[in-house]
Amino acid sequence: MKPKKFNKDQIQKIILSVLGFIGLIYCYFTFFLGPLDKSRATMSASIAEVQAKTASSKTEMKKTANLELQAKEATGRYEALKATTADGAPIAWFPPKMRTFFGEQGIDKVTARLESSAEFKQPELSDWVKDTWAIELPQSEYAALGNAIAQLENSEPLLAINHLVIHAVPEEPQYQQVSLLAQTALFKK
Amino acid sequence: MALQLNLLHEEISQERQRKRDPLKLGIMGLSAFGLLLFLYYGWNAYQTIQIRSQLNAATAEWQKVEPKVTAAQKRAAELRQIIDSTKVLDALIDERFYWAPFLAQVAHCVAPNVQVTGLDGNVIEGDGSIAVTIEGLAAAREPRAAAEEFRQLLMEQLEKNYKDVKVTFRNLEDLDTMVNLSGQPTPSARFVLNITLDPKSNDTAKKEEPEKAARKRNEAEKI
Repeated sequence: MKPKKFNKDQIQKIILSVLGFIGLIYCYFTFFLGPLDKSRATMSASIAEVQAKTASSKTEMKKTANLELQAKEATGRYEALKATTADGAPIAWFPPKMRTFFGEQGIDKVTARLESSAEFKQPELSDWVKDTWAIELPQSEYAALGNAIAQLENSEPLLAINHLVIHAVPEEPQYQQVSLLAQTALFKK
Repeated sequence: MALQLNLLHEEISQERQRKRDPLKLGIMGLSAFGLLLFLYYGWNAYQTIQIRSQLNAATAEWQKVEPKVTAAQKRAAELRQIIDSTKVLDALIDERFYWAPFLAQVAHCVAPNVQVTGLDGNVIEGDGSIAVTIEGLAAAREPRAAAEEFRQLLMEQLEKNYKDVKVTFRNLEDLDTMVNLSGQPTPSARFVLNITLDPKSNDTAKKEEPEKAARKRNEAEKI
C-alpha cells in the first residue's frame, strides 16, 4: 500500500491543529490549572500552619492551666505579701503604724522617718520599692524591747532590721535608748 | 470483461477527503482533549473548594482559640513573674537576721556583776554577716576575769546558733572608781567587745529553719 501523501492544504491544517493544541495546553496550565494548584498549595500550607498554631495553642493553654495550679500557693503568698503594703504613700502610714505597734508593746514616743528609698537590684522586684526607715525608741526596757523586736520580725515579713543601737539612759538605768534602721520592701501602688 | 464506469468517483473522492480533513480531525481531537482537561480542572477545582472550606474551618477554630491563648500567654507571663517575685521575696525573708533571739542570748549571758551599757549591731551589706559592738562594765575582785568570763560565755552561747562566731576584746581597762555590788565596793573594768558572726545557722539551727520559715509563711498568709 502506498503511503498517503498530504497535500499542501492538509499540511497547513495539521500545523494549525498542532499550534492550536500547544496553545490550548499552554493556556490550560498557565491560566487555569497552574493558579488553581498554586492556590491549593498555598491553602494547604495555611491549613497546616493554622492547625499547628491551634495545636500549640491548646498545649499552651494546658500548660497555663497546670501553671495556674502550681502557682496557686505562690499567688496566695504573693497577694499576702502585697497586702502588707497599705494604700497611700508609705511616709503617710508607716511612721504611725510603727508608733501604734511599739505603743501596743509598751514603748512610747516612737518616731520613724524615711532615710532612703531605692529600687531593688533584682529585676523580679521591679514592682517593689526598698525603703529604709530610721526608728527611734527614746525610752524602752530591755525585755519589752526584745519582745517588741521579736513581734516586729514575726509580724512584718518584709521588714529587716539592718542596724540596731542600744544605749543605757544614764539617769534611768532601767531604760534604754534605741535606734533602728529598718529596711522594708513595699509594693508600688 | 465488462467496463465499469464510476461516475460518482469525483464526489466519493471529495467526500473521503472531507472526512479525512486534518483540520476537522484536529478540532475534534482538540475538543475531546479539551473536554478531558476541563473535567480534570473541574476535579481539581472541587478539591480546591474542599480545601478552602477546610481552611475556613481551621481559621474559624483559630479565631475562637486565639483570644483565649493570648489571654493564657499573658496570664502565664504574669504567673511566672509572680512565682519569680515570690521566690526572691522569700529569699529576702529567709535571709533576714533575727535580732530578737540574738538579744535574748546576750541577755542570758549577762551575769549580775556585768552591766551592758551599749550595743551597736550592723548587718554587713554584701555578705550579710553581722558585726556587733558591746560596751559594758564588769565588777568583781578580778574585774578583767569577770569580763573574760562574759566574753567566753557569750561566744559559747552564740556558737550554738551561728557560724564563724568571733568575740574579741577591743578594749578592756580597769576603772579607778569602785562600784557598789551587793552593798560591797568592788573594783570594776570597762570593756568593749567586738562580735562578728555568720547568721547562717549551724546544723542544729538548720533543722529548725524550715519550721521557722513555714511559720513565717503561715503568719504572712494570715495577714
